Amino acid sequence: MKMAFFPGCMIPVKYPYMEAAIRKTVPPLGIEIVDVEGFTCCPDPIHFKAADNLGWVTVAARNLCVAEEAGLNIFTICSGCTETLSEASYMLNEDKELRKKVNKRLSRVGKKYNGTVKVKHLVSVLRDDVGIDKIKSTVKKPLTNVMVAIHYGCHLLKPSIFMKVDDPDDPHVMDSLIRAIGGETCRHKEWYLCCGRACFDQNLREEMTECVLDSVKKMDADCMGMICPTCFSSFDLGQIMLARKKKDSEAEVNMISPVYYFQLLGLAQGLQPEEVGLDRHKIKLDNVLEKISLKN
Amino acid sequence: MKDPKIEVNFEKRKELEKVLGADQVSYCYQCGACVGDCPSARFFEGFNPREIMLKSLIGDFDDLISKDSIIWKCSNCYNCYERCPQDVRPVEVIIALKNIASQNETSPKEILDVTRRIIETGYSVPIVSSSNRIREELGLPPLKKIDVSELKEILKPDNKTEKK
Repeated sequence: MKMAFFPGCMIPVKYPYMEAAIRKTVPPLGIEIVDVEGFTCCPDPIHFKAADNLGWVTVAARNLCVAEEAGLNIFTICSGCTETLSEASYMLNEDKELRKKVNKRLSRVGKKYNGTVKVKHLVSVLRDDVGIDKIKSTVKKPLTNVMVAIHYGCHLLKPSIFMKVDDPDDPHVMDSLIRAIGGETCRHKEWYLCCGRACFDQNLREEMTECVLDSVKKMDADCMGMICPTCFSSFDLGQIMLARKKKDSEAEVNMISPVYYFQLLGLAQGLQPEEVGLDRHKIKLDNVLEKISLKN
Repeated sequence: MKDPKIEVNFEKRKELEKVLGADQVSYCYQCGACVGDCPSARFFEGFNPREIMLKSLIGDFDDLISKDSIIWKCSNCYNCYERCPQDVRPVEVIIALKNIASQNETSPKEILDVTRRIIETGYSVPIVSSSNRIREELGLPPLKKIDVSELKEILKPDNKTEKK
């Protein structure tokens, strides 16, 4: 199965090890990654959309056109990109006037949005197109006894009318993907809470992040299972910053490490921790590596 | 809202309704479904999406588009979009208000900085000297230089009288 890879900005620039994990783990699952020329930032649903909503949907439409021209459906790896491209498709497909307006702008560069391209987050591709059995068949080193506290974040699931990934009130997609690689999952009390990263208020951000972290720490979890790079930044560097700010040495020893799903998939497929960049995390994942005998 | 006589400024509301995303605001019947699940309301007492919708409904939102407005405390979690029984999509109305603030240059500097970066480089995140070194160490190709000429062209307003 060939699909256009929409890498976005945050992962290739800030967390390239997540991209490395994807490029290494996805081909064994039967997905051919196609790097299509011409994509720009999705653009981001927080800043760009707040500056100019019409411009935002227009730039998103241009990205969709690039995939249409290549004749490929898109897979995304960032919740923000998924939100932008899914919402833009939904708006353009529902609102004919808007589509006309956007196409008029696109005609300046010889492009036209036809609505023929599908956008899917990679987790949906894994669940629906690859299948759990196929994922299981690539596992060489199952994450036995590794308990993962899943944090879905907001934009993978909501609004469900166009995200269509899972039931936002009772999602299971990450649970099944973690179990497919031999790990166990738990739902922490604040699993539904936003990490706070998109609030333009530092205190508010920190309060939300801390509330999630406190909730996760009450579980008997070895790590946090992440799918959104923005959430990841809140719980990786954000967790360190919180501890520093509170000068709370106890919090420092009681850190919980966030990890992107595809890094865990990489470990399960037999990759070394460095190959998926686990050595580059602010909060190390040694406890997990010990459990699966990748570290003494 | 203690005064029982509330005058609706329809002209002002129409101004908001014209902005993409706010077209459904008049369907809000103030049920408050948006409040229960709102993380910003939970952690900051003064933030209430129902009240933001009310101010939008009656066309009294000057304070919402002023500098340091409370709308920037919205977490963009989309819970209210999910919950709203009237399809008002409160977060989209808030974003429409942010659009007006951005035009009036009262939005946070970060908004305009990131937007400008996307228009100039095609990336929302700044590329630093270590970005490509780390990519190379991981066996990844260097970051592509993005051609933004098309992006710039399609972002030009349709005509001089039309607001973006």
